[in-house]
Amino acid sequence: MTSARPYLYLAPTLAVLAAFTYFPLARLAELSLHAPGIGTSLGPWIGFSAYSTLFANPLFWRVAGQTLLYVFASVPIAMAIALALALLLDQPLRGVGVFRVLYYTPVVMPTVAVAALALWMFNANGGIIDYLLHAIGIGPVPWLVDGAWALPTLMIVAVWKNVGYYMIIYLAGLQSLPRAVLDAARLDGARPIARFFTITLPLLRPTTFFLAVVALIGSFQVFDFVNLMTQGGPSNATNVLVYFAYQNGFEYVQLGMAAAISLVMFAMVLMILGALAWAFNR
Amino acid sequence: MIRRCASYAVLVAGLIPLLLPFYWMALTSLKPKREVFTAVPQWWPAHPAWDNYRSAWVAEPFAGFFFNSIVVTASIVALQLALASLAAFALSRFEFRGRSLIFWIIVAALIVPVQITFIANFMTLAHLGLLNTYAALVAPYAASAFGTFLLRQAFAAVPRQLEDAARLDGCSGLAFLWHVLLPLSRPTVLAFALVAVVTHWNDYFWPLIVTNNNAVRTLPIGLGMFVGQEVTTDWNLLMAASIFVSAPMLLLFFLMQRHFVQSQLRTGSRG
Repeated sequence: MTSARPYLYLAPTLAVLAAFTYFPLARLAELSLHAPGIGTSLGPWIGFSAYSTLFANPLFWRVAGQTLLYVFASVPIAMAIALALALLLDQPLRGVGVFRVLYYTPVVMPTVAVAALALWMFNANGGIIDYLLHAIGIGPVPWLVDGAWALPTLMIVAVWKNVGYYMIIYLAGLQSLPRAVLDAARLDGARPIARFFTITLPLLRPTTFFLAVVALIGSFQVFDFVNLMTQGGPSNATNVLVYFAYQNGFEYVQLGMAAAISLVMFAMVLMILGALAWAFNR
Repeated sequence: MIRRCASYAVLVAGLIPLLLPFYWMALTSLKPKREVFTAVPQWWPAHPAWDNYRSAWVAEPFAGFFFNSIVVTASIVALQLALASLAAFALSRFEFRGRSLIFWIIVAALIVPVQITFIANFMTLAHLGLLNTYAALVAPYAASAFGTFLLRQAFAAVPRQLEDAARLDGCSGLAFLWHVLLPLSRPTVLAFALVAVVTHWNDYFWPLIVTNNNAVRTLPIGLGMFVGQEVTTDWNLLMAASIFVSAPMLLLFFLMQRHFVQSQLRTGSRG
């Protein structure tokens, strides 16, 4: 039964993935062990010195810490809001379909348009958000100009953009739950909050795991908002790993260093995914 | 009854932070310059300046960017559909050595985004002299691990008997893929295509890496350059440009929202 046909059908996909996904990982390793210049030459072998320089650079640790803060603050917050929305939208309410569509809308927006809009709304000069907060006696908040506020501001924008996507995934999870179990719990008179924590949330575990994986991978990639809204500033307060690699590669033309940063980030993502898989499948 | 009212109250309250930005974007795009910065914000454009759209459109070569975005997005989506259909066909309807290994090699690509590999891919394309070409914008995305996975699930759900019946009628191999599997998997194919269109129309990162020439730049890059120039000055023009860059996706979304939501329901429920 085995013939060449299935391999032939798989060949184009495997060729593209090999060329642009797997081969580049090896290439990054090679680049990080050499000192490549602007041209196409690999440059001299330098061993692990790019890594030792990187790990000795306090800015790297700061950038890595900020990336982790961004990921581990914005992902759980967005997932919690998404779950709350999904629970509300899983009810047989009139007009529920309209709400689902509206809450999903930011997901289809280009990040560049969202960044432009956020720059305007959070602007220190004429921004509507400071105006509205002022009306209730708060602020003005130095959103993008203060080092302590800039990263949280980017998180707010990311949560706004992503929450609809997470919501739909939770909604799918809720709709695939066994109705009989939920109905039985209701008939037993379990209170809604107890029902949620003892039945719904544990049953949603596979969905939560899937979503956490997708959201973590996605959030680690954060670049667009940083490049468009803050360029990593003020004074590196919003610098994150992908932006740091981009800066090293294209601004400082340190391609070997950039490759090392990318690989270190990849290792971090793998370790976190591993820890997550362990925690969820225990 | 009380719970229902409370649910509505929360859902409607949530719409304020959700929709206010859209309103503010549309409103600003229609304001004449002197109405953009006012001590008390104007919630309705007193003199709607439709001309902002024309000014924004010609402030950068947006017509060219629009054309490039269409070419690049259409090429990527067409290639992804073709390659993913073939790969999913092999993975779902054939028995062969290494099948599950190959499946995992494809799925594992999902954890290696271009945000990790970009330095290496940039150097490869530079080496081949392909920077600033459509090929550089399209090639890394020609295959889709996600699409292959989705289509494999859909194809695997088509019953074996149907394949046998089709073979008796002389319909096998690629004819079976084209005439039976793909039509039966239409909802999945459509949902995947829509997600791919949105993803690649909106993509900012990869085009930023491989283009520095207006002849091949796409809309997000054009808008990004506009952001760099217009910040702190012409917010009305910037908002107008943001709207015409987003409009095709918003339109597509509102026309096809059922299929978008369905696509997520399809992937999520398999988690």
